[in-house]
Amino acid sequence: MFGKLSWSAIPFDQPIPLITSLIIVVVVLGVLIYTAVKGWWPYIWREWITTVDHKRIGIMYCLLGVLMLIRGFADAIMMRTQQAVAINAPGYLPAEHYNQIFSAHGTIMIFFAAMPLVIGFMNFVMPLQLGVRDVAFPTLNSVSFWLTASGALLVNVSLFIGEFARTGWLPYPPLSEAAYSPGVGVDYYLWAVQISGIGTMMTGINFVTTVLKLRCTGMGYFRMPMFCWTTLASSLIIVAVFPILTATLAMLTLDRYFGFHFFTSDAGGNPMMFMNLIWAWGHPEVYILVLPAFGIFSEIFSTFSGKPLFGYRSMVAATLFICVVSMMTWLHHFFTMGAGAAVNTAFGISTSIIAVGTGVKIYNWIFTMYGGRVRFDTPMLWSLGFIFTFVIGGMTGVLLAVPPADFIVHNSMFLVAHFHNVIVGGVVFALFAGLEYWFPKAFGFRLHEGWGKTAFWFALIGFWVTFTPLYIVGMAGMTRRLQHLDVEGWRPYMQVALIGVGILIIGAICQVIQLVVSIVQREKLRDVTGDPWDGRSLEWATPSPAPFFNFAVTPNVEGEEPYWGIKQKAIESQVLSPEPDYQPIEMPVNSGVGFYTAFFASVTGFALIWHIWWLAVLGLIGAFIAFVVLAWRDVHEYEVPAEIVAKVDRARRAAREAFLERVEREGRLAS
Amino acid sequence: MSDLERHYDSAPGDEPQDSPGHWVRTYLLGLGFATILTIASFWIAAAHPIWGPAVPVALIVLAIAQMGVHLVFFLHVTTGPDNTNNVLALAFGVMVVALVVLGSIWIMDHLNQNMMPTDQQMQM
Amino acid sequence: MSNVDFPASVEAIRRRREEPGQAGHHDHGGPVAGAGHGDTGPATKRIIVGYGFWIFLLSDIVMFSCFFATYAVLQHATAGGPGIRQIVELPRVEWETAFLLMSSFTCGLSFAATNARNVLWTQIFLVITGLLGLGFVLLEVQEFIGLTQQGIIPQRSGFLTGFFSLVGTHGLHVSAGLLWLGTMLAQVQVKGFRREIVHRLICFNLFWHALDIVWVGIFTIVYLLGSIG
Repeated sequence: MFGKLSWSAIPFDQPIPLITSLIIVVVVLGVLIYTAVKGWWPYIWREWITTVDHKRIGIMYCLLGVLMLIRGFADAIMMRTQQAVAINAPGYLPAEHYNQIFSAHGTIMIFFAAMPLVIGFMNFVMPLQLGVRDVAFPTLNSVSFWLTASGALLVNVSLFIGEFARTGWLPYPPLSEAAYSPGVGVDYYLWAVQISGIGTMMTGINFVTTVLKLRCTGMGYFRMPMFCWTTLASSLIIVAVFPILTATLAMLTLDRYFGFHFFTSDAGGNPMMFMNLIWAWGHPEVYILVLPAFGIFSEIFSTFSGKPLFGYRSMVAATLFICVVSMMTWLHHFFTMGAGAAVNTAFGISTSIIAVGTGVKIYNWIFTMYGGRVRFDTPMLWSLGFIFTFVIGGMTGVLLAVPPADFIVHNSMFLVAHFHNVIVGGVVFALFAGLEYWFPKAFGFRLHEGWGKTAFWFALIGFWVTFTPLYIVGMAGMTRRLQHLDVEGWRPYMQVALIGVGILIIGAICQVIQLVVSIVQREKLRDVTGDPWDGRSLEWATPSPAPFFNFAVTPNVEGEEPYWGIKQKAIESQVLSPEPDYQPIEMPVNSGVGFYTAFFASVTGFALIWHIWWLAVLGLIGAFIAFVVLAWRDVHEYEVPAEIVAKVDRARRAAREAFLERVEREGRLAS
Repeated sequence: MSDLERHYDSAPGDEPQDSPGHWVRTYLLGLGFATILTIASFWIAAAHPIWGPAVPVALIVLAIAQMGVHLVFFLHVTTGPDNTNNVLALAFGVMVVALVVLGSIWIMDHLNQNMMPTDQQMQM
Repeated sequence: MSNVDFPASVEAIRRRREEPGQAGHHDHGGPVAGAGHGDTGPATKRIIVGYGFWIFLLSDIVMFSCFFATYAVLQHATAGGPGIRQIVELPRVEWETAFLLMSSFTCGLSFAATNARNVLWTQIFLVITGLLGLGFVLLEVQEFIGLTQQGIIPQRSGFLTGFFSLVGTHGLHVSAGLLWLGTMLAQVQVKGFRREIVHRLICFNLFWHALDIVWVGIFTIVYLLGSIG
């Protein structure tokens, strides 16, 4: 009746997951009940759960990403602690549990922290920068988010019902096959990633179509902000490679559920094919993450140097170059699997070549700063920290690209340090920089500068104190994923790394304090004009927070850096452009289909994991019905009356006029 | 947004300004070519009218040709200026497919060659 | 702080006033109409929907290519069981190919009727398309059942896994297409040629033709190349 599910699925005998689960359940229930008592549910349902507004969906993605970042960080703390004490000793985490922790850490960080955060940023910023009101398929956008949330839910449910995979974040066969992982752990992984992967796939299609077909008048390709180019490139990679992930995980699922022989070690299966296919996805995946990060830095470097981005066209070329070549390097993840010298050499060369694209970008960012008036606000600090950190991480990557060198450090702590170096230095730093930069646009007030800078320094120093020892022990021969160590000489390095984690924890706390302080002081930090950083692209033409329709009148772009031109003209002539003729606007209606589809997807996923077949069928039928109900609706859009548009826009114009007067008074522009 | 037909950009498979007669004619041509290519494929595979080792090559060429016929006559993916985005997207997709299929075959072939023969492996 | 002080803007104005020779950025002036590069604003919904679906189809083809690649890698892994030569039935494949190709043709005719806003002929050709597609699926199901009854099942070997999965994934797509076709028939009947319905018919057309393109790959690589061994 309930498949494999029984009371023994709850980890009564393991204190750590049990207590963690209890705390999470109490907190979540508490939040849900408090919300109900305060009567907030109608508002949340109407304005957030069923929204199709790209800005709100972007914020929800980021919220999901931050929550999962905390969970992934907690896993990391546990691992560092274990490795610092378990030297010629058992430590406090038994092997079956430790293996789940490192698997969950990687899975959560990549699929449910980094991807949602990056997608959240692209969602929020890109339509604003393109001068349009929303993405190409707003309802699909909502479905994408909720499917991602469904996957995140399943991973977290595995904490207190059942177990998680013990195979690492990419479940290599034969270990991940039913013969050697008979429990539900790998199934949790498969369904969580598969469901959220569908959501990501749809996001990729949505963004490619938006950037290519939905820009405002006058915005030709070479007038797009750099962040939109990187959004396009990243989304093209998503569209190209997520099908590979879907297919490969489906094959493993068929092996596990139906006894097929794709990757089994008997009857003609080929486990190596899994590694080949999964990395054909896995390598482009990291470029999906890092290209938008590069885009964020392009925006920040030009804004905070007061100069246009240096070498815009070469940046575009480098971005597209990286987009294409990223799909030609994947074998460097398994040089040691034995493809031989010819194959290894070819991929070693392609891996080294792709560094050229990034090199072009780094030089362009540096030359952007040169000759500019650089302001060292928090976003700029994160960007400078990125240059330093990422370049070193990239260099260790080029070292790993040399097959003979890789034979020595493959799957060692050197590798672990390398990829954290580039992901943290590249993606995470970008996310914090972007958070500081675009927070006012999303919420109407800036974040506290002092706490922001403090958090940055703790993060930068903490990162290097944590990972430098890992580089060293990696070179000395320590492999990854060790539940205990046998080499006494590595103890000081593990301890230094643990101190680094402590510094990172302080940085995280500073980040939280920054948020709390900013909310308390929000009136003082209010962004009145909508352009707190002297920005250059169209999102800064809107008020903060941006109105739900983004622009009262979609802009007509006449040059590169579209907003910059408008601003200079206004400052010079000391008047705003004349008030436009306000027309009613058509906006898409909200829809619950995303939430319902994800609800049924979660039910189906859970049922499939536990082999509760009747429930799985019901869930699929429910999802299909939700879909058909959406397809049958008659009303897709509603009209926003011109009076409302006018009212919102006149408030914006009043704020801008006040700014012009201030510049006139204090900006020494007397002609 | 007005309902103007944009004559410099069209979705794949969609030629809204085509007359029904033109549309049907295109489809008939496509069906004709596809049928000829299909019959040719089956015939070559069954009757071996050409030199043996050339048969697989011929079959693949005919398959690619037929895919082209489908793309041009059924999907209207041509090289006109209104189709640039569609063609670029197709080219991108073809590149990825080639990388995945040919890359995988190349890699797996090398890996398999270097695998220890199963009779010398440990029996687990 | 940054909110009040706009140093870069102020600086830029100053530079323009005092050093008029430094033009700064080159630019080509106003938007170029009709250039087909999206300069003239967002595309129509018809194009957006069609293009988005085209991108989805390309991603689906990438997914199929993974199954093709796996089939190619596993095609000799017969584990002592039957190989492709033993299970190919060319006459059946000929019928399946004929059905699918004709259904692609009738699908295109149905869209011609849609463009001409003719509900009757749209429905007629859609029904014919559906019947031909159903014929294809039934032939394939018959093939699978026949094989299974002889003990030739995907669980037997890597090769059979690859075969059943590649052909089966295509068959599943065709079946899903038939489900979609049924829904479209109902929607055209109830709602007529509303804008969204026409957009969905564009998408269905693309989908159905793409499935035929994939089938060309399958009958060539799996069945024809398999039959010559």
